[in-house]
Amino acid sequence: MTLDSIALSRQQLDGDKMIINLGPSHPTTHGTLRIVLELEGETITKSTPEIGYLHRGVEKLGESLSYQQFSPLTDRLNYCSSIMNNVGYACAVEKLLGIEIPKRAQQIRVLMSELARIADHIVCVGVNAVDVGAFTAFLYLFKQRETAYDLFELATGQRLHTSFTRIGGLFRDIPEGFVPICERFLVECEAAVDECERLLTHNPIWHDRTKGIGAISPEDAINWGYTGPCLRAAGVPQDLRKAQPYLGYETYDFDIPIGTTGDVFDRYLVRIEEMRQSLRIVRQVLDRLEPGPVNVDDPKVALPSKEKVYTRMESLIHHFKLIMHGIEMPVGEIYSATEAANGELGFYLVSDGGKNPYRIRVRPPCLPIFSSFHDQVKGCLIADAVAVLGAMNIIAGELDR
Amino acid sequence: MADPIVPPSPTAPAVPDVPEVPTGPYVYDYAASPQRQIVMPKTVPLPSYRTYVAEQKAAAEADEAKWKKMQADFELAKTKAEAEGKDAPKPPVRPVPRKDDNDLKTPWPLEAQDADLLRLQECLGAKVEEIFEQAGELTCQLEKGSILEALRLCRQDVQLNYEMLADQTATHYPAATGFAFSVVYHLTSISRRKRLRLRILVPEGFTPESACAIYPGANWMEREIFDMLGIRFANHPDMTRILCPEDWEGYPLRKDYPVVGLGQRDISFREDRGGMIERIALQKAGQLGINLKVPKAD
Repeated sequence: MTLDSIALSRQQLDGDKMIINLGPSHPTTHGTLRIVLELEGETITKSTPEIGYLHRGVEKLGESLSYQQFSPLTDRLNYCSSIMNNVGYACAVEKLLGIEIPKRAQQIRVLMSELARIADHIVCVGVNAVDVGAFTAFLYLFKQRETAYDLFELATGQRLHTSFTRIGGLFRDIPEGFVPICERFLVECEAAVDECERLLTHNPIWHDRTKGIGAISPEDAINWGYTGPCLRAAGVPQDLRKAQPYLGYETYDFDIPIGTTGDVFDRYLVRIEEMRQSLRIVRQVLDRLEPGPVNVDDPKVALPSKEKVYTRMESLIHHFKLIMHGIEMPVGEIYSATEAANGELGFYLVSDGGKNPYRIRVRPPCLPIFSSFHDQVKGCLIADAVAVLGAMNIIAGELDR
Repeated sequence: MADPIVPPSPTAPAVPDVPEVPTGPYVYDYAASPQRQIVMPKTVPLPSYRTYVAEQKAAAEADEAKWKKMQADFELAKTKAEAEGKDAPKPPVRPVPRKDDNDLKTPWPLEAQDADLLRLQECLGAKVEEIFEQAGELTCQLEKGSILEALRLCRQDVQLNYEMLADQTATHYPAATGFAFSVVYHLTSISRRKRLRLRILVPEGFTPESACAIYPGANWMEREIFDMLGIRFANHPDMTRILCPEDWEGYPLRKDYPVVGLGQRDISFREDRGGMIERIALQKAGQLGINLKVPKAD
């Protein structure tokens, strides 16, 4: 972004083009990002996204924090589904360490991830509908999102910034009353998704606002680095849960919904269907949830229980060593990708064997998707730009890091 | 209590000649902050099969040399003891490396077996500097000038067919000799469900070719690398900063850039080391007749 993109000076230069700032603080940007739109009449001829308003230097901060201390920072990436970021980061460190976590921990991670995926899709679909003027669906769905967040609070003690995972397992086991509430949530959420579909899927106004807007071919989507629902809406059946299964996803029975045109309507349909598939996975997890520990039985990786720390000398030493000197990491580099709600969430870790990572790179799903914004909205109207922006599900927290 | 403020008499000078310099224990020196100190890394954590093999060989040789020396020492001591008519010393025992089943079995670099890596080496020949596998990931290190050729091959070759550039990033290695950064490309093949990492090592000031022509998604990632590490890419359509403001100085992800300090707003009350803010608050509260001190139970 150069200084000559400031609206006033350009507007003075050529009179027939109008320049509009969408953002940095606009109700439809859902975060802080600025898009400079160049208009001819109401048609967009050029759009220049400007990002970085929410840049916190997460990657730089990670270099001065220990592996475990970075986990709360991952909450703040995609704050709508922070558990999935926790899981993605923990999977990356565990891949670097070469350990496998216990079955129960894997299942709870899958359970919470899918709940987070539902919550994220609810926000995306609901807010997208609000942006184009359909307010009611948002309210119907947000009741379910509230329940999902209550479930997070029950399990992790936090609603948004969960920090649920630990390296080698979880912060704690799910509490006693969790499973019945979750089962009730499954029933209610299914009904709410159906209700939302009844409100939107056959709604002619919704069709007019979303069909054919932001259409993209599968080749273009792949070239731009699209992942997640946006790629699947374009017709590419790519889901990392199937393509490169992690956390035992290969043992669950679920389908990958795909669209045909990749427009806003298809992205909406894909998200709705993914919520149903996530509910299916949650149900399967609840059925097969097996008892056992939720942390690896390795004192060099996971903290010993408080009881042992207070009663056993060895555990006290392990606790002290882990807190003061961290985990003994191998020297190496790793790229681990998980399927987050928006797409492929990658963590590239370089370790020099010290307490802190040498380099942490977060590959946010939003960044490549948003980089194609100009191609998506060229020739559209301003109102379409808003619809496209909502369907891309741009979360400034992970876009800017 | 402080004296009430006396209005200045008309004869007194209105402004003192020298402005008062705020001094005191509560002014926090940011330049001396421990968080602002830069600790430069001393090692180059760049995994490579060749260096791994060399390290293993060196360690084995050192072990062997140590054992030889122990034996020689023993022979010497034995002959000496025999000459003096004393009891012979105990023969040395070769130390067995401690093996613990609980030890972590961390992934180390393995020799390249995968067909993709062999294919890359076959097609590019001497431009491939190294290929290896680690933790199930394929890595190919290339000569820095030939990255565009390699990317084009990966994208267009029927046997490779890596359609998507999943991620592109760079790392700063100030301790290395001969290069300063590694630029890493993570490619994904959707049709073949495979991943590949291409790596080039670039010195300071080198401009690698931009991947935008082959993978349009590289545009913003390369801008981010330039923003964060200062590597410029040749033939990039818009090589400007993306996350930081355009007038930002320095490259934040370099190791010589402090975590805390640069660009930070210096707020004098950020750290109330001397308890100054508390004292002022108490004073103000006393003037207003508010009791801020919490009564303690006896």
